[in-house]
Amino acid sequence: MRISSKRRASSVSEAFGVTESGLFSLSNDELLSRGFELHSSYEGIDLDQLNSLFLKVGFPRRKKEKLTRALQHTLSLFWLRDVKSDQMIAFARATGDNVFNAIIWDVVVDPSYQGAGLGKAVMERLMADLVKRGISNIALYAESNVVGFYRPLGFVSDPDGIRAMAYSRKRR
Amino acid sequence: MASLLNVPSPVLRQQPSLAITSFFPSLHNIRVESQRWQEHEHIPLTSLHHSHATKPNSGRRGKSVHARASLWDSIRAGLLKSSPATLADPKPSDEDEEEELQSEEVILLEKVQTDGTVERIVFDSGADVDVSDLELLCDKVGWPRRPPAKVKAALRNSYMVASLHLHRQLPLSEKNNDGGNKRELIGLARATSDHAFNATIWDVLIDPMYQGQGLGKALVEQMVRALLRRDIGNITLFADAQVVDFYKGLGFEADPEGIKGMFWYPRF
Repeated sequence: MRISSKRRASSVSEAFGVTESGLFSLSNDELLSRGFELHSSYEGIDLDQLNSLFLKVGFPRRKKEKLTRALQHTLSLFWLRDVKSDQMIAFARATGDNVFNAIIWDVVVDPSYQGAGLGKAVMERLMADLVKRGISNIALYAESNVVGFYRPLGFVSDPDGIRAMAYSRKRR
Repeated sequence: MASLLNVPSPVLRQQPSLAITSFFPSLHNIRVESQRWQEHEHIPLTSLHHSHATKPNSGRRGKSVHARASLWDSIRAGLLKSSPATLADPKPSDEDEEEELQSEEVILLEKVQTDGTVERIVFDSGADVDVSDLELLCDKVGWPRRPPAKVKAALRNSYMVASLHLHRQLPLSEKNNDGGNKRELIGLARATSDHAFNATIWDVLIDPMYQGQGLGKALVEQMVRALLRRDIGNITLFADAQVVDFYKGLGFEADPEGIKGMFWYPRF
């Protein structure tokens, strides 16, 4: 599904419930005018570019076969392509049961393009998509240095004392 | 209702909790227990097994009419409007589907009653869970009911739905030609996943009547093993404050590498 840059906000705003205004902080038109093309499907994703983007932010490179499978089993994803350089420069995806819970993973922005609201752009769209499906339990795991990035988007850490946990093979 | 662990029996002298915890951390311990039971009740050692076989009548099928049992969030949020349960992306490959259909059973406990009734508590990572059974279970633990249609969809869209069932096999008799098999759902846990890197465990439930005996630990541990067998490297969950220690005991680490769990406008 490719979001048309010419679409106007409907009576139910495009970011209803996600942003205060109900509109994206940067509209699709604004993104395009800055040279960024928005995508919302895994078609057209160059896995090498995605891996290289991961590496730029310190994520591990993933095996392509596994990456393909992960993307096939992803509920929703958004990414930005820098038209001039033809590079993927922002990405975010979410998994879940499509009814109650969703988890957001792999939110990345090319360091050269950070600070321009592009991370927020993909996040807002991802969240709007999840909310539109009726999912309101949206969670994620944030490294300590990016907790501040998610807070303005409405994320609360350890609400009610709930803790994120991960299985560690070392401990066994 | 006489339950497996409440009815005194000449065989099972030890505390029920001992019977369960002795099965962990390794399956080898099952042999010890079964040998002891074998002396009194002639249970063959092979009756306690760990099977990976695809069972003809169990496991999920893509088009099965059996809906997965209902699902409860540890965070009680959720709008009530229905949503289409379709993925935007192409269907998984055949290989994936085959992988998903496999049922993995582990018999955690087995006991033969004096009348010949065989009771087993069975873990299965791929059993069909009856929605109404799950509703009953959730009632028992005091969780709110959810619209069945949503619950069915949530289960269908879960990567793994692990269950604990109490199986009761009645002895063959004149009245009872087929030696009827009954099973009762006594535990559940499910995981969502991208089928490759990450899985998140939700809704771990154990029937209160069977709590305090290590079944919750068994359920989660078996589920973790099942996920690891599928090469899911990152197994995560969100734990209420009072169960953090429970999961630590199972090998989970809180805030790994300082990573914090965050929720979007959580509502409780």
